[in-house]
Amino acid sequence: MATQIVMDHNGDTRHNFDARDAKAVLKAERRFRALTGAGFTAAIRTANREPLVTRTFDPTAEETLFFPRLVGG
Amino acid sequence: MNLPHIPDDQLRRFVAACARRARAFRDWYQLPRKRELRGRDLLREWLSPEQLAQYDSHNYFEVTGCHTGKRYRIHHGFGTNVYELDDGGVPRVGWCFVPDDHLVAGDVMLAQKIALETDERGAMAVANNFTRR
Repeated sequence: MATQIVMDHNGDTRHNFDARDAKAVLKAERRFRALTGAGFTAAIRTANREPLVTRTFDPTAEETLFFPRLVGG
Repeated sequence: MNLPHIPDDQLRRFVAACARRARAFRDWYQLPRKRELRGRDLLREWLSPEQLAQYDSHNYFEVTGCHTGKRYRIHHGFGTNVYELDDGGVPRVGWCFVPDDHLVAGDVMLAQKIALETDERGAMAVANNFTRR
């Protein structure tokens, strides 16, 4: 089961999907595009558990984290 | 003293309504803490073992900028919480950059960590500096 984690007011919201389910993958890909299109950064973790920013949807990623655009405080 | 007679079903409904309101109040009261804990749990999942140990003992952790190799210290907080360290590990300049949304501290810190480790120049391009407090 793959998970998309979106940071939000509640801490985060998690969307799980089965990477073998074509319909679920399509829905997850749409969510990925919608979020990155809205300025969110998508990050996955490498095998070494280091963060890696990704601009393309990877259905095999175990976990994809989305955080809002950064601004100067 | 004479107590007013209240039918059982009416009393049950009244007690059930009170219990519902008490639960709603408890959930509302605990919500900020739950959010904070969710954010902190997520941060902990993404920290390296060294960063996690540092965070647990000092309430901050350090990251290495991917472009310059500079070290930054991220303190627990929502903003004005990132410090650039000199070669001796002493905080010199503060940098403020945060996600453009109201997020809990753990989420803010995680976004700052990922930004510095994967796109340091992008983070610095939007960051404002501040003098060390």
